[in-house]
Amino acid sequence: MTGSYFEDVPLEHVEETPGLTITSAHVAIYLGLTRELAADGGAVPDVLPLCFTTGLGWRVPKPPLVVLAFMGLDWQVLRSVRVGDTIMSRSRVVTKRPMRDAGVVVEEREVVDQRGEVVQRGRFTYLVAKRTKETRA
Amino acid sequence: MGELRRYFDDIELGEEYESPGRTVTEADIVIFAGLSGDYNVLHTDAEIMKQSIFGERIAHGLLGLAIQAGLFTRATQAYATLAFVGLRWKFKGPIKIGDTIRLRAKVIGKKETPKPDRGLVTVQRSVLNQRGEVVQEGETDLMIERRPRP
Repeated sequence: MTGSYFEDVPLEHVEETPGLTITSAHVAIYLGLTRELAADGGAVPDVLPLCFTTGLGWRVPKPPLVVLAFMGLDWQVLRSVRVGDTIMSRSRVVTKRPMRDAGVVVEEREVVDQRGEVVQRGRFTYLVAKRTKETRA
Repeated sequence: MGELRRYFDDIELGEEYESPGRTVTEADIVIFAGLSGDYNVLHTDAEIMKQSIFGERIAHGLLGLAIQAGLFTRATQAYATLAFVGLRWKFKGPIKIGDTIRLRAKVIGKKETPKPDRGLVTVQRSVLNQRGEVVQEGETDLMIERRPRP
């Protein structure tokens, strides 16, 4: 499988994604999918920017992590996001913990709006595959 | 509608709720992949996932998190929420296509804040599948409006 294996992940390297303008279409699809309730017409549900940050991570040149499992997250919502705002995501790996067949990777992430303000931030913990004989670089 | 929302003062420590169930479908996963842009093979490649520890595609963890947020609105009368402040969350097991999940929630914290018009409520949440296994769990912090003084 192509992607970044545990051994390939650099510590403290800051990765910035392209932007994404949040539209009322995104919000409508999200509300239909989850049946969360809308606060008002222009409000963006707080979990939606968090969901976008994972997809934004796929829009950088570096191959995505070979994630075996998403283990958990700690997340803070600092400001509300409105329809029409353009967000991007900034992340860096702060901890790598090797285990026998895989490794735990902790990533710090921020969601930043068009004014450069951090609107959400937190830590993601993943279980990432190690290279095997077949995938050795 | 305002009077139907529950204020900080109305919410009691130890309150428990249980939501209806919701069956997570392949369509949910496809829509979430399209919406979020997260096309990880875990969620999108049936062939590779046959060889994985899960044996098949699984739902995005954040899809489960988003669905439980919706289930919360069906489990209890709406809170007068001013803001979602944060969460601490663990993904304990996979949600597979066809699994039916429900939310069990309990109010475990109520804290006054420096601002007199609001208070912080912490809700512990477990997402269970049809076998009663906890697939996700964590705590969410919500800033809730206080009952306006006359």
